[in-house]
Amino acid sequence: MREHRFGGRAAAALVAVIGMLIAAGCSSNSSSTSGSAAAPAPSGTTASTSQCGSKPGVQATGTPIPLGGIVTNQPGTSFADIANMANAYFTCVNANGGINGHPIKYYIETEQTNPAQIAGEAKQLVQTDHVVGIVGNTSIIECSVDHSYWEKLGFAIVDSGIAPECYSTPNSAAVNMGPRYSSDGAVQYALSQHVSKVVFDQSNVPGTGYIAAGPSALAAAAHVPIVQLTENVPISDANSVAIKEVDDAGPNGAVILNFTPPEALVILQAAQKLGLENRVKLWGCSTPCNTDFIAHELGPKWNHKLFVNAELTPPDFTTTPAMNLYKAILARYGHSVSSGVGSFSQMGFAEAEILVHALESVKGAYTVQSVNAAIKGVQGFNTGMLCQLWTYGKYPMHIPNNMDYTVTPDNGQMATAQGCTKISSVDPQIAAYRKVAGVAPAAP
Amino acid sequence: MAGTAVRTARVRPRPPLQKPGPGTLTRAAAVAAVLLISLFALPELLSLYYVDAMTQVAVYAMVALGLGLLVGRVGLVSLGQVAVLAIGAWTAARLLFATTLPYPVVLLAAGAVTMALGTLIGLPALRLRGLYLALITLMLAGAITVVLATANFPNGGHGFLGYDASSVHIPPIRRPGIAASDPAYFRYAVIVTALMFLLAGVHIRTRPGRAWAAIRQSEPAALAAGINVTLYKLWAFALASFITGVAGGVLAGAVTYLYSINFPTQDSITLLAVVLMGGVYSLWGAVVAALLLQLLPAVLHNWGVSADWLTILFGLGVLQVLTTAPGGLADQVPKDLARLGRLLRRHLPSGAVSEGGG
Amino acid sequence: MPSWQDFQPFVVSGLALGGVYALSGVGLIVLYRATGVVYLAFGAVGAMGALIAWSLINANVQGWVAWLVCVAFAGVVTLGYGLLFGPALAKRDPLVKAVATLGLTLVLFGVMDLLWTTGGGQSRAITLPTDNGGFTIGQVQVTWTQVVGLGAGVAITVVTAAFLRYTKLGTAMRAMANDREITATLGVPVRRVEAAAWLGCGLLGGLAGLLLADLVALDAATLTFLVISSLAAALIARLRSIALTFVAAIVIGLIHDLLTPIQSLSNYRDMTPFVLAAVALLVLSRRRVISLSREEA
Repeated sequence: MREHRFGGRAAAALVAVIGMLIAAGCSSNSSSTSGSAAAPAPSGTTASTSQCGSKPGVQATGTPIPLGGIVTNQPGTSFADIANMANAYFTCVNANGGINGHPIKYYIETEQTNPAQIAGEAKQLVQTDHVVGIVGNTSIIECSVDHSYWEKLGFAIVDSGIAPECYSTPNSAAVNMGPRYSSDGAVQYALSQHVSKVVFDQSNVPGTGYIAAGPSALAAAAHVPIVQLTENVPISDANSVAIKEVDDAGPNGAVILNFTPPEALVILQAAQKLGLENRVKLWGCSTPCNTDFIAHELGPKWNHKLFVNAELTPPDFTTTPAMNLYKAILARYGHSVSSGVGSFSQMGFAEAEILVHALESVKGAYTVQSVNAAIKGVQGFNTGMLCQLWTYGKYPMHIPNNMDYTVTPDNGQMATAQGCTKISSVDPQIAAYRKVAGVAPAAP
Repeated sequence: MAGTAVRTARVRPRPPLQKPGPGTLTRAAAVAAVLLISLFALPELLSLYYVDAMTQVAVYAMVALGLGLLVGRVGLVSLGQVAVLAIGAWTAARLLFATTLPYPVVLLAAGAVTMALGTLIGLPALRLRGLYLALITLMLAGAITVVLATANFPNGGHGFLGYDASSVHIPPIRRPGIAASDPAYFRYAVIVTALMFLLAGVHIRTRPGRAWAAIRQSEPAALAAGINVTLYKLWAFALASFITGVAGGVLAGAVTYLYSINFPTQDSITLLAVVLMGGVYSLWGAVVAALLLQLLPAVLHNWGVSADWLTILFGLGVLQVLTTAPGGLADQVPKDLARLGRLLRRHLPSGAVSEGGG
Repeated sequence: MPSWQDFQPFVVSGLALGGVYALSGVGLIVLYRATGVVYLAFGAVGAMGALIAWSLINANVQGWVAWLVCVAFAGVVTLGYGLLFGPALAKRDPLVKAVATLGLTLVLFGVMDLLWTTGGGQSRAITLPTDNGGFTIGQVQVTWTQVVGLGAGVAITVVTAAFLRYTKLGTAMRAMANDREITATLGVPVRRVEAAAWLGCGLLGGLAGLLLADLVALDAATLTFLVISSLAAALIARLRSIALTFVAAIVIGLIHDLLTPIQSLSNYRDMTPFVLAAVALLVLSRRRVISLSREEA
C-alpha cells in the first residue's frame, strides 16, 4: 500500500516534469506561412509609424484613457488578432503623442463562447477597469448577450460584428459586414456569373437562419434555386460534405461556403482530393477565406475557381498611405498578431482608427458620455480599408460597410476579381439600413 | 422473508435523548457558515465578474453532487452528466419562454422531466455493469450532443423546439422577479443548491443511503440481504438526474442565453475528473469539484493564465486520486489537517493549549 | 429518396471513413485483450504524435523521419503510462483503469493546446505522399491514403488476430487478460508481456494518428475525441472480437456517409456511432447481464 502511494505520487510528478520539459523544448505555433508579423513591409513603403499620432516620437504620459474589448479566443475560433492589432495601433499612437498627451489603455478580454463568462467580462470592463469606450469586440455571441447592458450604460460599440444584434441594434456599428452580408456578397458574385443553382453551406453555430435569409432573398430575386445546408463543426468527415455540396449544385451550379478558415480549408481540400473542384461552375466563400494562407494552401487548382468575398481593401496590391501605415504598424508593434497581413488585422486597424478619430474630437474630460457621443458622431470617415466612407450615426441599426470586393486565389496570393460592388438591396436588412442612412459615398 | 428482515432492522431501537456529538455540531456550524457567507457576504464583497462565476459554482455544485452520488454511493460512473444538464436547461428554457409559470415550478418541472428521461435510460442500462455502463453513458451523451447541435436551445420561437433560426433579436431567458439582478440571482442559486444538498443528505441518512452503502460494498451480498438492488440503483439514477435537471434550470436563468456549443461531450470527462478530485465520499467534495471547475478557471483567466494548465492539472489529479487517494480532496484535506494538528501538538511546548486542528 | 447514383460516391467515402474508425477501434481492442485497459487516450497520443510530426516537417526535417518520430512518440508515451500506472492499477476494476486513461487524455489534451495554439485563423495540415494519385471509382477519386487507411485496418485486424492466437507472446497476452495472477504463477514474464502490449498499442496509436491527421483533420480536439466514435465499434463487438470490431467500424462509416444525401437525417448522421453502440449494447444486454468479470475477457 505504502509502495503504491509512493509510486503513484512519483508517477504524477514524473508526468508533470515530462510535460514541462516538452513545453520548454518544443517550439510553439505556426506563423511561418502567410505574411508573418515579423516580416518587413514590402518595398516602396518606407512609411514610418509616426503617422499614427499627432506628435511624432513623443511618448504620451498623461492620465490614460481606458478602452475595452471582448473577443472570442477558443480552439477553432479565435478573433484575438483583431483586438491585438487594435492594441498595436494604440501603442503606436501612445508612442507618438497619444490623444492630446493622454495614452490609451486597452483592456482585452477573451472569452470561450460562454454567456456567463461574457456577461461577467463586460461587467469587469465597466466596473473594475472603468473603460470609457468599447472597441474591437468580435464574438459569436457577445453582441446578443451584452447589447442591453451596453445600451443601458450608453456605450456605442465599434466592433467586427457577427451576431444579428451587432447589425440590428442602435448601439453597435461594425467595420465589417459579418457573415450574412459577406455571404450575400459571395452569392451575388456567383449569380452575376449566371450559375443555374446555388448551394449555400454554413457552420451550425448560432444564427444560421439569420445568415441564410440573405442569400435566400438574393437567389429568389434572381429566380435561381438555392439549397441551404449546415454542418456541425468541427467537421469530422469533410469528404461527405464536399460530395453532398457538389451533388446538390450540379455542373452549372455554385457552392458557397460560410465557415471559419480551418473548416473551409478542410472542405476545399477534401473536394480537391476527391477530384471534385471542377464539377461545379464556381466555388465561393465569405470573407473568412480571404487570407493569403488559404490562397497558399489551396494551390493552383483553385486559381480563378474560388471567389472570396473581401470586406476590406485587398492589402497585397494597394499602396495608399493608410495601407502603408497599417503594414508599418503591423511590422513594428504587431508581434501578437499571428495571422499577419489579412482581414482580421485590417479590421483591428480600422476600428482603432475610428476610435482615435473620435477621441481626438472630444473636448474636455474623457468620460463615458463624452467619448461615446463622439463615437456616435463619426461621420464620413475614411479608414483607408473600406470601399466606402464610414459613418456611425444615430440609427436604430448599423450596416455601415455594405460595399465590397471579390478576390480569387492567384498562385498563392489573393487577387481582385471584382472591384467595389454594393451589396444588393434585395436583402431586406440592407434595404432597411439604406432607408435610414442612405448610401455612403465611396472612399477616394 | 427478505422484507421481514429489512423491517426488523428498522425497528431496532436507538438510544433516546442522545446529545449530538461534537462532529455533528462542527459540521452543522460549517454548513451554516458557508451558507451565511454565500448569502450575505459574497455578493457584497465580490465584483460582478466573480458573482457570475460563483453562480456557475452553485450550478455545477449541484451537477457534481449528482455525479458524486452515483459514483461514490452506488459505484456507477456516468460520462454523460453534462448532456443531462443540457436536457434540464432545455426544458427550463422552453417552459420559461412558452409559459408564465413561476420559477420554482419551472425548476421542479425541469428536474422532473430530466428525472423521467434519466430513469427511462437507466432502466435498460442497469443491466450493464461497471465499464460498459460508463461507456454507454458516453455514447448516449454523444448522441444527445449531436441532437442538441441540430435542434438548438429554445430562443423564444414557436413549435415544440421553440427555436427560431432567423431571429434578428433573441430575447434573453427570464429570471424570477425577485432575483433579476446578478447578486440576487446568485443568492437564489445558493438557496436552490442548499435545498438540493439537503435532499441528497436526507437520502443518504435514511434507507436509500444504507441500501446504496450495502450495494457499493458488495452487490451479491446486498441482494442476499434482501435489498432490491435494481430499485435502489434506479433511485440513485433518478435522484442524480433530478438534481442535475434542477441545476440545468438554474443555469438557464444564470446565463440567459443557451447555446449547444456550451455543452460539449468533453466537458463530461472534465466533470468526472474534478468530481473524483473533490472526493466522492463526502458532500463537500461536490463543492470542491465545482470550485475547481468554475472558480479556478475564472481566476486564472483574470490573471491571463491559459485554461490548458487546468486541464493538465485535472488529468494529473485523476491519476493521483485513482492511484493513491480514492477519497479525493474532501477526504484528504481533513486527514492532512488532522495529521498537521497531531504534529503540532507533539512539537508545541508543554504549556500551550493546542487541542485544535482536527 | 435519393437514387443509387446519388448513394454511390458515399459508399466509397463511407468505406474510407469506416477504415479510419477501424484503425482506432482495433487498436483499442488489442490493448484491452492484453491488459484489460480500455485505452481512451489512444486518440490523444496519436494526435500529439501527428502534431510533433507537423512541427518537424515545418522545421524542414525529412518526411519519413517525422512520421517515425510520431509513431515512436505515441509508443513511448503509451509504454511510459503503462509502466508507471499499469502495476498500480492492475488489481482494480476495468472501469477504474479506463477512467485513469481519461486522466492521461486530459493531460495530453492540455499540453497540445498549450504548445500548438489554435488561434490566428490558421490551420495545420499533414500531407502524405500517398495523397497525390489514386484512382477513380464512378464519379469519385480515391486517394492512395484512403486505400492505405482501409488496408491498414484490414492488415492490423488480420495480423493481430493471428498474433494473439498463434504466437507465444500473443497467447501470453490473452492469458494475462484473463487472469494476471495465475498467468504470473505459470512463469510468464508478466511485466514484459504487458510492456509489449502497451508499446504495440502505442505504436498503433501513432500510426492511426498520422493517417487520421491526413484523412480527417490535424486538429487536437477532433483527433482526440474521434476515439469515442471508434470506441462505439469496439463496444458493438463487446470489446472482445477484433474481426467484429473491424466489421462494426466499416458498417458505422458506411451508414454515416450513406445518411448524407437523405435530407431529413443528414444533420443527425454524426450520431451514427453512438446510436449504433447504445442500441447494440442495450439489445445484447436484454438476454443476460453484461459484466466485466475476469473470466469474461
